[in-house]
Amino acid sequence: MRVVLAEDLYLLREGLVRLLEAHGCTVAAAVETGPDLLAALLAHRPDVAVVDVRLPPTNTDEGLQAALAARRQVPGLPVLVLSQHVEQLYARELLADGTGGIGYLLKDRVFNADQFLDAVRRVAAGGTAMDPEVIAKLLQQPSRNVPLARLTPRERAVLELMAEGRSNAAIGQKLFLSESAVGKHTASIFGKLDLAPSDDDNRRVLAVLAYLNGAA
Amino acid sequence: MAGMIRSYALAPLRGLFLALLAAVGLAASLPLMISIALVVTYPAVLVTVRWMTGVSRRLAGDWGRTVVEPPYRTGTPPVPVQREDGWYEHQGQLYKSPGYPQFFLRMEWLTEDPATGRDWMWLLLLGPLGALLALAGPALLVAGVLAVAGAGAAGRAAATATGLPEAALTWWGLLPGGPAWQAVAVGVAAAVAGLLAGPALLRVHGRWVRHWLGHASRSWWHTSGFGAWLSRGGHDTWKAVLLLGLSLTGFTVFLVTLLLTMVSGGFGIAWLAYAIRPMVNHYRRLCASWGGIELPDPYRAREPVTGPGPDGRYRVGRTLYATHDGAHRAGFFPWILGDPATWRDLLWMATAPLGALPAVVPAVLLGAGYFGLFWQALFWPLWAVPLGLITGIWVSPWYMWQLLTLGIPAAAAVPGWLSVPIGLAAGLLAVLLARPVLGAITAWAWLLLAPTRSARLAQRVVHLAQTRADAVDAQSAELRRIERDLHDGAQARLVAVGLSLGAVEQLLDRDPDAARALLAQARETSAAALSDLRDLVRGIHPPVLAERGLVDAVRALALDAALPVQVHADLDGQPPAPIATAAYFAVAEALANAARHAGAGRVGVDIRHAGGLLRVTVTDDGRGGADPARGSGLSGLRRRLATFDGTLALHSPPGGPTVLTMEIPCALSSPRTSTC
Repeated sequence: MRVVLAEDLYLLREGLVRLLEAHGCTVAAAVETGPDLLAALLAHRPDVAVVDVRLPPTNTDEGLQAALAARRQVPGLPVLVLSQHVEQLYARELLADGTGGIGYLLKDRVFNADQFLDAVRRVAAGGTAMDPEVIAKLLQQPSRNVPLARLTPRERAVLELMAEGRSNAAIGQKLFLSESAVGKHTASIFGKLDLAPSDDDNRRVLAVLAYLNGAA
Repeated sequence: MAGMIRSYALAPLRGLFLALLAAVGLAASLPLMISIALVVTYPAVLVTVRWMTGVSRRLAGDWGRTVVEPPYRTGTPPVPVQREDGWYEHQGQLYKSPGYPQFFLRMEWLTEDPATGRDWMWLLLLGPLGALLALAGPALLVAGVLAVAGAGAAGRAAATATGLPEAALTWWGLLPGGPAWQAVAVGVAAAVAGLLAGPALLRVHGRWVRHWLGHASRSWWHTSGFGAWLSRGGHDTWKAVLLLGLSLTGFTVFLVTLLLTMVSGGFGIAWLAYAIRPMVNHYRRLCASWGGIELPDPYRAREPVTGPGPDGRYRVGRTLYATHDGAHRAGFFPWILGDPATWRDLLWMATAPLGALPAVVPAVLLGAGYFGLFWQALFWPLWAVPLGLITGIWVSPWYMWQLLTLGIPAAAAVPGWLSVPIGLAAGLLAVLLARPVLGAITAWAWLLLAPTRSARLAQRVVHLAQTRADAVDAQSAELRRIERDLHDGAQARLVAVGLSLGAVEQLLDRDPDAARALLAQARETSAAALSDLRDLVRGIHPPVLAERGLVDAVRALALDAALPVQVHADLDGQPPAPIATAAYFAVAEALANAARHAGAGRVGVDIRHAGGLLRVTVTDDGRGGADPARGSGLSGLRRRLATFDGTLALHSPPGGPTVLTMEIPCALSSPRTSTC
């Protein structure tokens, strides 16, 4: 799996390169500024890009803007965005084109190498990896979303994991449920939220996220 | 039928009673006004006045068939708010119990009610004028009866006994050659007219009561252009006269000051100039609002006593004082006498009547011309006819013209009826002149009472020193909070991580399983430290604000808010970073308040920049009634904005909607393309 990495802090960049290479990825380029990132993404067309939001030279949201610009030229280019903080605003902008292949995680998540690599692979495969904190914020607004209040606690837990971008199998493993039981829960959730059911994992996730975003 | 007869029969008595009531009101108004001076009785006086006008209102309904709603402000007066330190404040004065502030607030609340002023006008002028209407019926009746009775023998005896004037006796036919039958005929006609007109006059009186004591209604006359122009001219005249009156008070104080100066030197000036300041400030406010000019208070703020010095004493000028109180008392005189505004006040007092003198012109034109010549002619029949019937002395309808032109031979040639158009013309001239005259008076006041350039600068220095002190306080409090958060949060956690790693180092060979467990624990602790730091950073300067600027940061805030928030923004660039941060936290506080207290369903945030002002408006559809004095968060915001000369206005009527408006003067920099 070929990866382009953008991170301006030397230690973190080197650490990420080592982590990715240790798990069988090839780091095609490791850059530290926004313009370099855009050039590298367009030149290497990696399987996945791991991008820090804040990059030189402006130290604003250069990384995010470069990733979005690259995706406008190469639709569906998988991008995993890392940040010291997560904002619903950014999540919306990343998901706006609805083509998937998007990850948005707190930098803390690299602490757990297995989970991080799982997210990288999911995004590379065109899936979605949303940080639990983003999902929690989306679900925290009961007054805004009446149908959400009709979910059972178990259904809520399934919805949270689903919105993070996990497959039925992964959800079942995490909640100690059989895959078919998870399937029943998801069908029920889709019924309650009035969403069209879909077998495709990724399309299902995007529908849920679009629903949660649009409910605002 | 019986009811109708009853109402006709009772009408003269009722008219008499109404006249009596007006007379009592007029007589009582003077002692009532005097007792206002004894501040303590003020609310009681107002309650009495309201009771008296209330009787007029009720009688207008019962007898004049005109329902008059009380026009007073509804609701309850504001209640004093206890400060955090347990005291109650009213206009910079602290009180231990809420009694006095409550009393003052109630007093102000009652005084500010526009109906209060109209109550006084009623007692002093409009009630007695209306009484003439009510009295016309019974007066005609009595006059008629007297005329008839006088024609008889009994009347003859009574008249000679009481020594009526000769003219009256002639009229009644008592003197030889007087035609008694004429007196009888006119008397009967007058009595019947007085009797028949009774209920109608009572109804007219009722209308009069409703017009002056009911809700101040804007009739078509007042809303039409010409009527509005006329009534504005009339109001301007009264305002000019009031300013003249206040100027005369000022002049009197000036004379007293002169006298006191002779007796006591500069002390008298200082005390009086200080005591008169509220009145001069009141004059400033009146001139500012009536003349449409800016007339802020020019006085220097008092500097606190410094010290004590190394010798334990306090220095004021070249004198040392042993106690703080002594120094404070002594500092009063240099403070007042050294303030140029004091001397300008005195100069104004000395010359004020001169400056306000033009008020006489429209006042005389309106008073003597319009009311004296024009209106008086309309009121003339109400009193002159009964008077003529009783005494036989017939006053000319143009008597006012004759009085006013006494000693001017040319005026005698003018026919009397011309005085009515002349009066009307004088009224119109007064209306034309009122505005320029009021403008001239306020311009004179501005010349002497406005702060000079140096006074404005001195005030600005005080303001800047205050806001700088606030900013420094706020900043050091913020730093203390950051230090505490770091100390108790991230720092402590990093210590724990270090300890765990140290233990791992030792356990690595002996007990790899335990080492692994400790490593996992260290990882969790470092994640918690990161989370702490993230929250801390959000409170200092939200990353999204640094990355995206104010508008997107507010959008991000809106997405995280507990209730739906609509953001409208129209900014061509970015405000300076400190201002953006202040505005961001202000919006955050406003959104939190809307969700927590207002019970709002929707919130709108509007951000725009125009005329060098960044204006942020937060509107919610909650229950309203937010009190800016009560929320400490709000006063904190106000202080924070004051550092940038920004202002914060809260408009929150009970029932909502609540509108919070922040305005900060600033320029926008480098346009950035927004991504939304």
